[in-house]
Amino acid sequence: MSTPILTIRGARRRYNADTPALQGADLELQSGTITALLGPSGSGKSTLLRAIAGLEPLDSGEIIGGAQSWNGPGPAVPPEKRRVGMVFQDYALFPHLNAIANVAFGLNGSDKKKRALAQLEAAELGHKANAYPHELSGGEQQRVALARALAPNPAIVLLDEPFSGLDRRLRSELRARTIASLKAAGATALIVTHDAEEAMAVADQLALMGGGRIIQTGTPDEVWMNPASAAAARLLGDVDVYTGQIANGQVSTPLGDVPAPDFKPGQLVDVLVRPAAISVIPADDGAYAVTQRRSTGAELAMTLKAADGSNWRASTPAPCDLNAGDRVNIKLNQTFVTVTNSAG
Amino acid sequence: MAVTGTAAPRAAQKGFNATSLAVVAALICAAPILAVAWIALTGDTGDYLAHLAQTRLPTYLTHSAYVAGVAALGTGLLGTSLGWLIARTQFPGREFLGWVLILPLAVPAYVAAYAWLDLSTAGGPLYTATNGLFPTIRGSWGAGLMFSFVLYPYVYLLARDAFASQSADAYDAARTLGSPPWHAFMHTALPMARPAIAAGLALVMMESLADYGTVSHLGAPTLSIGLVRAWSGAGSLVDAARLSLVLVVVALLIFGLERAQRRRARSVTASGKTRPAQRFVLRGWKGIAALSFCLLPLALGMFIPLGRLAYLALSEPSTTNLLDASLNSLTLAITAAIIAAALGLSTAYALRSKGIIATMSARAAGLGYAVPGAVAAVGVIAILSGTQQILDPIWRDLTGAVFPILLTGGAAALIFAYLSRFAAAAIGPAESALSRVTPALDGAARTLGATPLQTARRVHWPLIVGGLTSAGLLVFVEVLKELPATMILRPFNYDTLAVIAHSYAADERLGEAAMPSILITLVALLPMVFVARYLSSRSAGGQDR
Repeated sequence: MSTPILTIRGARRRYNADTPALQGADLELQSGTITALLGPSGSGKSTLLRAIAGLEPLDSGEIIGGAQSWNGPGPAVPPEKRRVGMVFQDYALFPHLNAIANVAFGLNGSDKKKRALAQLEAAELGHKANAYPHELSGGEQQRVALARALAPNPAIVLLDEPFSGLDRRLRSELRARTIASLKAAGATALIVTHDAEEAMAVADQLALMGGGRIIQTGTPDEVWMNPASAAAARLLGDVDVYTGQIANGQVSTPLGDVPAPDFKPGQLVDVLVRPAAISVIPADDGAYAVTQRRSTGAELAMTLKAADGSNWRASTPAPCDLNAGDRVNIKLNQTFVTVTNSAG
Repeated sequence: MAVTGTAAPRAAQKGFNATSLAVVAALICAAPILAVAWIALTGDTGDYLAHLAQTRLPTYLTHSAYVAGVAALGTGLLGTSLGWLIARTQFPGREFLGWVLILPLAVPAYVAAYAWLDLSTAGGPLYTATNGLFPTIRGSWGAGLMFSFVLYPYVYLLARDAFASQSADAYDAARTLGSPPWHAFMHTALPMARPAIAAGLALVMMESLADYGTVSHLGAPTLSIGLVRAWSGAGSLVDAARLSLVLVVVALLIFGLERAQRRRARSVTASGKTRPAQRFVLRGWKGIAALSFCLLPLALGMFIPLGRLAYLALSEPSTTNLLDASLNSLTLAITAAIIAAALGLSTAYALRSKGIIATMSARAAGLGYAVPGAVAAVGVIAILSGTQQILDPIWRDLTGAVFPILLTGGAAALIFAYLSRFAAAAIGPAESALSRVTPALDGAARTLGATPLQTARRVHWPLIVGGLTSAGLLVFVEVLKELPATMILRPFNYDTLAVIAHSYAADERLGEAAMPSILITLVALLPMVFVARYLSSRSAGGQDR
């Protein structure tokens, strides 16, 4: 792999004694890729983003941008020297400047108006160049904010929950548009989000964050198919966890035996089961009872109760005439089942 | 200017230290109160005070309560109804009236009192025209009425913005639950605006307690009168300090109640999106009625008093040379305004750092709100004479000469007293102006390549200059109108327009008092127009500007 354009090692940051925001985060960004930083709220995503931009100091650890040490031994490089573009969650457009002046803010030289206008036109907002932020819709504000961040041709673009303020339909449209803009600019981007679907949709690379650390990185497929832990699996979607012991290269679960050849006998493991792993077969004497059913459109989501009383989520393609109270047998698709070291 | 708040400690260290200036502001504001408290609690118990407590103190307290009560009632009714009309209805002239209704703040209450007493006194035009049926405006209720005429803008402004920013949801919910419109208003919109109205009323009561010119002209012996008498008449600093302490305690009580009310209200304020209410369109006679109702306070507080005084000034031309007094007034007001704005801005920046010292300093400086001008003056005298007592012997040992008398320090002592009263008035607006500069804006500017200094110049300054200017102008207007502190502290033969107007009015030479009164009002009106338009454009321009 080529040299990363950004390297973070052991980044730590604590606001007060009780709530460390970063507890040794490690991350690498490759040039020209879009990485989604996914994590629950309070996991330290925004702090990490602000630390990369130089807006948040680190207590320890280092951030290396290109060949230059941004944070580390010696004084930190100030934000204005990092060539990092940032799109803020509330866009942070300058309220006293119109759209074109906002975009031109980071530009220098006599042709800056022209370049700013070109950037706005690329975002199809040329006709709004003289509008002030409060005269723009939410989606237009977001596009101006992105144009402003891209205008100085930054080495890295950071986006902090850039679509969170928008309604659902606008969101997917703007997401596609944003990715197109970033790709067209050849930018290296890090997008913070707490929406798994969004992260999978936008990213070349995923970085999962929890408790102030990066807990897994990889392509969306890799991470979804092989979550490193129950916490990582939960970030990407519904999963049920069974904790059991290895015996004879496998672990026995209420859903049947799951092979686990890479673990030592007697080892405690978590079995992570996605709803898609369970196929139901209606049977009057089935071993599982349907306790809940809910249509999600293309699929039917249901909850099954096993003989030992444990509950499992399953999904099956619609239409399906199963109802709560019906009994079923199941087939377990091992592709959607992962065995990891137990967290507990 | 340092860019603090974005947690870039290096930048904060390089720039100026806002916290130290906030501490200076706190010292200026708090020192006079502390000096007053010290003198009051440690001084000898003079006969005068014992005598006073038995005879005059209850009178002072009753009249103070009466004056403040009438003022609160009058401004509450006027300010709330005007605020609602401007914020929630549409009628011809509404937008223009929106800011014009603020202008009577430029008229000193004592100027209104001169004119109204002259109009309604036995033999005056109103008396004659109504065959003596029109009551003579004097005494405590008269003073309260004058304050209602010129101080209602405090309540109006806060109530208007509260009504304007309210979501219509609560009102609509009440309607769907079966309330008729009036009932729904009384049980949703009005209670939601109550903290704002209470804040306005607290300001009004403070101003009327601090007043000296109006109550002395109309014959309402309030605490302020007692205080000035104790110092100017009996010459007792200790007694003046004790009365000051009573006054400050009353003031703190008012502000304490207002704060408690606000704290309770915070949980009520719904978060999330607000859906602005539709304006009620008032057509035909309803529109005319609304327009007339809005013109009424302008006539009572501004046009009638100014008209009467203009008539007096023209019909009894005086030979008084007002040039020196005008220059003195302007010099004092401009100096105090600039320093107050600077202190307000520093305190606002210091608050942004969220440091403990900064927060405590801002709170201490905020105490200045509760310091009536006369109290500030007594405090400044106490500080100066204390310093004198300490320095005199040292100076004599060193030089053999008598130490120059500090009390004649003159204009500087006056500025000190003004600042201790009005610097607090600049902190609030500066803070709210700076609150528009969110940390994300700093972050955006910095990631776009701006240094901390450039961020201050290109982002902070354009966003705060309007608010800061209007804060400074407000202080300018207040200092221009200020009377009791100026009377107590002014150097010998150093007159301001307010002092001249007061001394002529006290001698019943209203023709000569008219010109300086008109000058004060006209000079105050210009900055007031800017302030009024600024305040109104901000609330009309929506929350996101």
